[in-house]
Amino acid sequence: MISMLCLMLFVPRVFSSSTQVAVIFPQDPALWMGSSLTATCTVSPERGLHANTMYWTLNGKRLPSSTYGLLSTNGLSVTLHRLNGSQQQSGDNLVCHSRDGHVLAGSCLYVGMPPEKPVNLTCWSRNTKDLSCKWTPGGRGETFIKTKYTLKYKLRWYGRERECEDYSTGKRYTCYIPRDLALFTPYEIWVEASNQLGTATSDVITLDILDVVTTDPPDNVHVSRVGELEDQLTVRWGSPPALKDFLFQAKYQIRYRLEDSTEWKLVDDVGNQTSCRLAGLREGTVYFVQVRCNPVGIYGSRKAGIWSDWSHPTAASTPHSEPLQSGSCDPKSGEQNSTLRRELKQFFGWVRKHACGCSGMSIKLYDQWRVWLQKSHKTRNHVGKNNIPFISVPAQHRLHGYAP
Amino acid sequence: MSGHVKNMCPQLTISQAARTLLSLLLVAAIDSVSAGVVCRKQPCGSSLQRSLKLTKLIHKESVDLLKTYKLSQGDMSELFCQMSINNVPDPNISGLDPSERMLSIYSHCKAFLPHLKRVTEQQTDLQPPSSSLLSKLSTAHNRTNGLANQINCIYQTLFPNLPIPPEPVDGPTSVPPSQNVFQQKVYGCVVLKRFKEFLSRVTRELRTLKSQVCTRRTPFADTNALF
Repeated sequence: MISMLCLMLFVPRVFSSSTQVAVIFPQDPALWMGSSLTATCTVSPERGLHANTMYWTLNGKRLPSSTYGLLSTNGLSVTLHRLNGSQQQSGDNLVCHSRDGHVLAGSCLYVGMPPEKPVNLTCWSRNTKDLSCKWTPGGRGETFIKTKYTLKYKLRWYGRERECEDYSTGKRYTCYIPRDLALFTPYEIWVEASNQLGTATSDVITLDILDVVTTDPPDNVHVSRVGELEDQLTVRWGSPPALKDFLFQAKYQIRYRLEDSTEWKLVDDVGNQTSCRLAGLREGTVYFVQVRCNPVGIYGSRKAGIWSDWSHPTAASTPHSEPLQSGSCDPKSGEQNSTLRRELKQFFGWVRKHACGCSGMSIKLYDQWRVWLQKSHKTRNHVGKNNIPFISVPAQHRLHGYAP
Repeated sequence: MSGHVKNMCPQLTISQAARTLLSLLLVAAIDSVSAGVVCRKQPCGSSLQRSLKLTKLIHKESVDLLKTYKLSQGDMSELFCQMSINNVPDPNISGLDPSERMLSIYSHCKAFLPHLKRVTEQQTDLQPPSSSLLSKLSTAHNRTNGLANQINCIYQTLFPNLPIPPEPVDGPTSVPPSQNVFQQKVYGCVVLKRFKEFLSRVTRELRTLKSQVCTRRTPFADTNALF
């Protein structure tokens, strides 16, 4: 029994695969791009296979026999020059075959480059509770082989080095530290990149959490008309709820654009108010408005923080000017006539379609048509297709007081 | 005094009855537990039908799983699947009568589990974290474990006088020792190919078993396998 046990201890454990009748050297090497490799395939002599009947493939493609070298009756080499970067992270498949195509052995090549120093390391804290960091891989960013990035941090003057653990925020080259962060004391933070061919470390950044604070965008953003003023809108919003925990003043920015434009106009001098009036706007036009917040002066600091994201867009329209007034103060006779004529044409077209002939013709019918016109204009400018809330017009602003 | 004694007797009786009932319930509970699975009785047809549906789902997913696996290993990986490897469970269901065949399904499911787990571990090192292969492997493992527990419960219900299926021990189908990357690619392919073939056989087998063992005369209370 004891002798059986001893025998078992001394017999080497071999992966009992009946397929690997040969051995390739080197096995699973990591290689620099552009380098050369000579690999050998040695077949067990008892298999009766001769090396000059064997051949090599790399990623399924047969390698030319001019790259082979016959080492012995059961050993064949292949030499590869100027290797390209690996096609998949699991490695390139270098396989030794018998004449009939059977796989004798294989080796996975990892061809790539060592990482370069990660750059552009930046971090931010949401409401001083956590820390998120992002960076960019150095160089062209592609190493062709698996490269691991580790974010490390420590308190500058004391404390041990720690590693960020949560890399699963959905974006590459980011890490999230959810808790246990000290305030009023600087951190040193850096990123280490490593793969089988080398390592690289980013520059160390030093920051105090309170210097890189951002917050949530303002909520409850409302945009409304200013009475009957055609060129103005009022914007009101709420301060982010997290701000009430801190004794600091926020500052805000507003941006707005025309519905069919991509160009935003920025209002930068809002200060810490939670309302603002936009002026100089175009009449009868839909505007999209957004607001964002910067937490300034946290815990007495004079430094500005990091701007929040923009709030969801809110839309509203400026009122149309009164149609009878247009052209009435200083009309150019030709323009006034053509405008009136066009309007009459539209009115008569509507009467033919919707009213019963002209027997009921009256100023009341004309007023009804004006109301219908405004309704159809509002529908054309409706921004529901963009899923943005549309501000309704108060009853007193509708022409002639008719409800739609 | 005597009145006081008379009053105490009914309390003793109730307490004894309660203890007896509790003991009976405990024995019944223990009797129906196997390997941590609590089985309650179910109609034969519906329980096998449920297992059949689960098997079909896992089989369908195993086709996609194998395809995803091959794509992740690089070109020429089709040849890897054709290589033979020892110690990977074969896909064949053995046995002559329904109880033996059901036992074979159960033990094969259990036998595949450590291999699926090993392939998952190996591919975790070889694939990028975002690879869909890893989640598909995990799903296959979980569902197969569920199927094994279902089959276990059905077996106990159908064949209450037969021994409860034993947990598989380390043996010829245990996972291989450490392997180089090429061996890992081959191993994973062979495991998943055989797994797919096994599930195809289980689908056919469960259909046959359902017609063989589930008759109107087979009495069953309701069962729900918890797993």
